[in-house]
Amino acid sequence: MRDAIRRLRRNKLAMVGFVVVMILAFLAIFADFIAPYSYTKTNFGRLNEPPSRDYPLGTDQIGRDMLSRMIYGARVSMLVGLGAQVIVVALGVPIGAISGFFGGRTDLLLSRFIDVMYAFPRLLFVILVMSMLGAGLMNIFIAIGLTGWVGIARQTRAQVLAIKEKEFVDGARAMGAGLGRVLIKHVLPNALTPIVVAVTFGIPEAIFTEAALSFIGVGINPPTPSWGQMVGEGQQYLRSYWHLCVFPAIAIAVTMLAFTFFGDGVRDALDPKQK
Amino acid sequence: MNRPPITDQQMALLEQRLAGAGLGRRQFLQIAAGIAAMGAAGWNATPVAAAPKLAPGEKLAKDQTLRLGGGGWWQSDPSSHDYNKDLYCSGVPALWAGLMKFNADFQAVPYVASKVTSNKDGSVWTFEIRKDSRWSDGTACTAHSFEWSFKRQLDPATAAPYASFLYDIKNGEAFNKKKITDPKEVGVKAKSDWVLEVTLEGPRGYFPALAAYLAALPAHQPSVEKHKEKWTEAANLVCNGPFTLEKWDRGKEMVLKKNPHFFGAKDVTLERVIIPIIPVASGALPYENNEIQLTALQSGDLRRLQSGPNGKEVFRYPFPGTWYLLPQVTKAPFDNVKVRRAVSQAIDRENVVKVSQGFAFPAHSMIPPGFPGAIDTPKIRAIQKFDPKAALAHLKGTPFEGGKNWPKITLSMRDEALGAKPLAEAVQAVLLESINMKTDLEVLEQRVFRERLWKNELQFVWIRWFMDYPDPHNEYFDTFYGKKTTGRRQAWVNDAFDRELELGRDTRDTKKRMEHYAKAEEIMQTDVGYVPVAWVSRYAAAKPTVRGFEKNKQGEQVVDGNIYFDMMTKLYMVEKG
Repeated sequence: MRDAIRRLRRNKLAMVGFVVVMILAFLAIFADFIAPYSYTKTNFGRLNEPPSRDYPLGTDQIGRDMLSRMIYGARVSMLVGLGAQVIVVALGVPIGAISGFFGGRTDLLLSRFIDVMYAFPRLLFVILVMSMLGAGLMNIFIAIGLTGWVGIARQTRAQVLAIKEKEFVDGARAMGAGLGRVLIKHVLPNALTPIVVAVTFGIPEAIFTEAALSFIGVGINPPTPSWGQMVGEGQQYLRSYWHLCVFPAIAIAVTMLAFTFFGDGVRDALDPKQK
Repeated sequence: MNRPPITDQQMALLEQRLAGAGLGRRQFLQIAAGIAAMGAAGWNATPVAAAPKLAPGEKLAKDQTLRLGGGGWWQSDPSSHDYNKDLYCSGVPALWAGLMKFNADFQAVPYVASKVTSNKDGSVWTFEIRKDSRWSDGTACTAHSFEWSFKRQLDPATAAPYASFLYDIKNGEAFNKKKITDPKEVGVKAKSDWVLEVTLEGPRGYFPALAAYLAALPAHQPSVEKHKEKWTEAANLVCNGPFTLEKWDRGKEMVLKKNPHFFGAKDVTLERVIIPIIPVASGALPYENNEIQLTALQSGDLRRLQSGPNGKEVFRYPFPGTWYLLPQVTKAPFDNVKVRRAVSQAIDRENVVKVSQGFAFPAHSMIPPGFPGAIDTPKIRAIQKFDPKAALAHLKGTPFEGGKNWPKITLSMRDEALGAKPLAEAVQAVLLESINMKTDLEVLEQRVFRERLWKNELQFVWIRWFMDYPDPHNEYFDTFYGKKTTGRRQAWVNDAFDRELELGRDTRDTKKRMEHYAKAEEIMQTDVGYVPVAWVSRYAAAKPTVRGFEKNKQGEQVVDGNIYFDMMTKLYMVEKG
């Protein structure tokens, strides 16, 4: 483990990613203190203004401060990224572990179920779930969680399949440990590496899915700001007011990159053989 | 000619016809208004002459080519140009000419027909066809052509999705539903080459108006039989309208060419019309780059164009409509009239409309200025006047005093064109500002929205009404009448209000009528059945070289829509400068 952290710290790109992620997390947590204005505060005298001293990133169509809305948007993105992963892990890991560990008919049934879920086009399925549940932050967690666990379940199953054949597992069994105990105490901890990697990659994916949903208008409801929603509303005005869509688009891109760099670093650090 | 009377029962049937064709109540009302406004000439009113009237100093351009599109016009390829089979094919209507057409005031006037007569009760209609009516290959487009076309639409083998549009024709429904098989029993018959007799299921005084609609356009029999479903491809298409289809590059552009065989060809000035397929997201860019000369505008571009050097090219076209809020009186907190009053005085309309970038202006009642029934009295203006102090005062004694304790409030709107959402967000912002009312904005898909709206399920609604015909009956009765059984947008009902509407409907004297509607508006605003917020404006832009737009009775230039589609026969290009 210490080895892994050392490898990670030597990876410059990963560290840049990490720093950006930390800044975003800081903005998200302390948005109320950092944002110069409330995200609902309008100024009807100054609509669609380009960046100025009063409004460093300009104002939007109804005269709200873009910078403040972007800072609050970071909160939504971070919440979605983490919240959805909690559901993904809570669903994917047990299903994958049970499937791999018990094998036989259980495995057959669960694997086929995983295959079926895998066959759905992800984004379409999320949109379907969202249209059933309605827009809102909690529903985005659920929708992304319900569709995102499949990959992690497969990874976990593969790991468990390999590990359960190892001698120390037989040893534990021989010592009289029950199946459940063996799975939780001995098998899963050793299968953790790919799960951690999958989660670090799952976060930007969830953030991007939320942005896509809000872009097409089934994600976060106004007035709560979300970057995807801001790009969606702003892109119609690109010719007249470029700043409405350019800044949130940059924010999404930077966030995605940061998480991906960081995720790459984590993977390389935990599993140097894969490099 | 004596026009046979059109009874209410017949009007109900007409509505059913249109509904069967997938048309909303709006289209029905537009057509109904045209019927109601018919003058003494009845169906045989003469169409406006089309020859260009050049202003002094103007010279017709040598190149009579018009390029139009963008802003929502032809944002994707039509599925075909076969209106005879599918009135929602979104093809080019200017390729066709029906027996009748709608003029700029939505009245049906003869087109391919030269004269329309009927028997006494209106159950048999005779259309005399112009003897110079030709297909674009030069052959005669006769009564037989229309007989065949109507029967083709009704033939179950054609599988026309909206065939019910012609169910008024005798045995039309039975033939379409395979209850009879002999097309000879269908009540359309060419008595000679130039006389078409249509026998209907009963008295249908409105039939000529149906004959003017897109669904009653003809199809060319030899082409259909030869090329099957490919008959409206550019290489195959034979049509009878002012233009022919010279080229159709899928996803790129359509090119129309003047049809020399069209009976009105001498009044058509444009030689060529080019319609590039342009996604709405491109905005006015193609227009500004001179790729097109006529375009509809979206809110993202209007201000920039208007304030630019070519601001004079932008014009408003008729699209009277009203944006308003519906607080659902059956749902908390809007079941409390004090809350509704607070909302109505909390809306800072002057500021909200700024967001629309010119596509809306502050409304204090239902009917936009300049239209019959428009009210501009201090009394009406005062009822829901923006006054945040008064708004907060209304909340005294309610559980929400001081703008506290609001339950979760969802403001719902339908997913629609640009500009609707920023307006709604501005409304959210002023409600929060004035009475601290937090709302969640929910954008619903069209069908879901309509279904939930009509069930009166939505708590708080951001919605518009586009006027169908210039009469307060449309703005109040068709929208807010409490005894309506279908399509009611709100649970709010008020007997006194309904009574005024009934009186307005049944009164002949114009002045007295308008007094009833003014009273109705007052009742509705005082009881806050709705909260008017903004009136709609629509804009198009045409280069100075494009001339000849028809004007309606209100004096505004009209552009093609689903009822009026006669624009291209009127337009002409002039030399620059």
